[in-house]
Amino acid sequence: MSIVTVQLGQCGNQIGHEVFNAICSDVHGTHGLCSKKENESYHEASKERFFSEEKSGVPVARAVLVDMEPKVISQTLSIAARSGCWKYDDRSHFCQKQGSGNNWANGYSVHGPKHKDRIMNLVRKEAEKCDRLSGFFTIMSMAGGTGSGLGAFVTQCLKDAFPASFILNHVIWPYGTGEVIVQNYNSVLTLSHLYRSSDALLVHENDVIHKICAQLMNIKQISFRDVNQVIAHQLGSVFQPIYTGAGPLHYSRSPLGDLMETLVPHPEFKMLGLRNIPQMPENSLAYSTFSWPGLIKHLRQMLIANATMEEGIDWQVRPPRPGSSIPSKHSTSKSLHFNTSIANLVLLRGKDMHSADLEPIFTSTLNLGLKRRTSWTASQLWNKLSPVTPPCDFYKCSQLELYCKTTTLEDLLASTSQNI
Amino acid sequence: MRRARGRALPGAVAALCRALPPRARPAPDTLRRARFDRPQASSHCWRLLCSLLKQVHGGKWTEPDAIDIQIRFIKSVLWYHGYGRPELYRLPSDGSAGSRELLLAFSWLLHRISLLEQLLARNRVRTGDETSVCTCEDDLTNSQKGRTEIAPEYSLEDKVDVRYLQWLHGRLRFQWRSLHALHQEQSKLLHKIHLFTSGSHMDKILGHFSVTETELIRQPENYKQLLQFLESETMQLEAFLEWKQLEQVYWHWMVKTREEELQKEEFCAAARKTQEAVELKLLDLTYHCAPKKPKMHGSCRLVFRSKHSASKTGFGRSVSKEPISTVSATEVIRELQMRKASLERELKQLQEECRQRMDEIAEGLDGVICISP
Repeated sequence: MSIVTVQLGQCGNQIGHEVFNAICSDVHGTHGLCSKKENESYHEASKERFFSEEKSGVPVARAVLVDMEPKVISQTLSIAARSGCWKYDDRSHFCQKQGSGNNWANGYSVHGPKHKDRIMNLVRKEAEKCDRLSGFFTIMSMAGGTGSGLGAFVTQCLKDAFPASFILNHVIWPYGTGEVIVQNYNSVLTLSHLYRSSDALLVHENDVIHKICAQLMNIKQISFRDVNQVIAHQLGSVFQPIYTGAGPLHYSRSPLGDLMETLVPHPEFKMLGLRNIPQMPENSLAYSTFSWPGLIKHLRQMLIANATMEEGIDWQVRPPRPGSSIPSKHSTSKSLHFNTSIANLVLLRGKDMHSADLEPIFTSTLNLGLKRRTSWTASQLWNKLSPVTPPCDFYKCSQLELYCKTTTLEDLLASTSQNI
Repeated sequence: MRRARGRALPGAVAALCRALPPRARPAPDTLRRARFDRPQASSHCWRLLCSLLKQVHGGKWTEPDAIDIQIRFIKSVLWYHGYGRPELYRLPSDGSAGSRELLLAFSWLLHRISLLEQLLARNRVRTGDETSVCTCEDDLTNSQKGRTEIAPEYSLEDKVDVRYLQWLHGRLRFQWRSLHALHQEQSKLLHKIHLFTSGSHMDKILGHFSVTETELIRQPENYKQLLQFLESETMQLEAFLEWKQLEQVYWHWMVKTREEELQKEEFCAAARKTQEAVELKLLDLTYHCAPKKPKMHGSCRLVFRSKHSASKTGFGRSVSKEPISTVSATEVIRELQMRKASLERELKQLQEECRQRMDEIAEGLDGVICISP
């Protein structure tokens, strides 16, 4: 149940570093939410998943760092080593001197084939260290050249070399007003290639995270580090050990497998989005109280209204009644803005999790129609699912939800063209 | 002759009962009462059959369901195996009658699906080193010879969205991948155990500990439980051997039971069939032990040999007096790789045919371009 992370490009490496940081601090935190024994087994499961043991006793992240410039990687390696809690393997990185110049083709057709053997060697070494490989988690941005182009190529190689493993691509959707002129082309090329080789694409939009930082976290000067930390927090709440529906006896043996099986079994629908509540600065946590019914109500409306954070939710939006006609694309009715995802998964973490009652709220939204030209109700694909987790201290009451967008490539092109 | 048989009969029935697994062991008296169709024996018989069939079909022992659920289960399993006697299916669902029918069905299962052998194989004390091997040709028609198939009837109104089917197919695919990863982990850990305990075993040929033995070393308090299991299994096996000697007596007794119902052909045939089956099995064994074309199938124990070749010791299903057959893992891998290559060729061919058919269809449609994956 180990996950090997492949960090690609500047963005990928910086986010990857924050993810390991978040996981490490989560595991070491002791907020007294659960028994010592539970804490220890959680600790062990998390460590097994993301870190490997080394003689020095400091956990070594199961990661491969790839970039075409040396600067970011060397920074990442040194910051991690300085922390003392964990570090990267000194040999698990690959970098060159020249960079990709934000050119997708450079990454995909030039750097990729040229350095394929060395990169895949590093990945294979990491994979062999695992007693059991659950799958690969690649982090990349779509706007640049290395992450997007080389990332697409590496994903393909991973698929060829490990056909029986799960591959989850984490892609960063660039700012609408981003600085890279060709980011739209890079994005479209990346997505179309990833769609072929990856099992699931988890998308985080920079604009959305930026808003969360500004409005929920109350950060005045938002740096990339803040954005990355929010992303890392959200990813951690998905990937840390959880109990599966089978019973709170042991942690999920196949974390990526469980996620994928529930959300993306259909080969045409692979895009995932993530919502997480509550999000707030850590110093405010002490002054806030939460209750499961309140959180769940908010989450439900966030889902229905397609809202990305718990502020500014449109409470007017309702799902269409079952049996009613599906509104056409150009209708201006309010119900158009409802969420059109096919499958959803809810993960709960925190105190008294068993008292959280999902049934009455989520099952009432049984039939979410799908806005496609060929009418098809998604009712039978609704996943109410998942009970989960155990007390993981850091994410006291965070609750999140993973949903699968039904956007096809054509819709994607339509929305990216709006950004130009 | 009859008196001798009469004395041997209680022995045979007792051996049969002792050879059954502990949780589903009837008293010999139950079987005798069933033969006389006593209603009191009925519920015992239903329960007995239910728990035996559940074990055979891989289920873990769970709390017994209500009697009518049990009865429905038994009837469906018997139908699946091809039991065609209508009187059984007409028995009431409250379990009040039918002990003789059940005895007949039980005996039929004994012969037809080697019930005893299957139960013994399932309830063995495990070494933990087991793995299953199958290099048989994919012969679906042969494997379903004895079973009836009830073709599902889809009415034309119940249209199933193909995308839902794709969804289900995808789920299966992902579950298969998870299973594959679990198998890989198990192999890796097993290898570690074998490697680390090499040279420690009393048996010099084996050389290393099995998983069960290793666990026993780590948790010695469990030896009592293991001892109990082993003793119980030994007793069952001894009872089975005794049963095999006295089997004929039992079948003659069953024949008489059926004779009373004016239909003796099937069980005389059953007795004859048993003998024929045994002869066939012996022929089979001699055939298989001749190293012509070893088709491996069944459970094996993994034994670590040396750095260059891990081999398997087959305990398999054949109770033969020959030395235990060994097969090296590399051989099995090679055979499986050849099978895989031939299956891939077959798949490519089928895909090519599909592509051509789709192209033909697309040509017939106006303004449609078919882009195949």
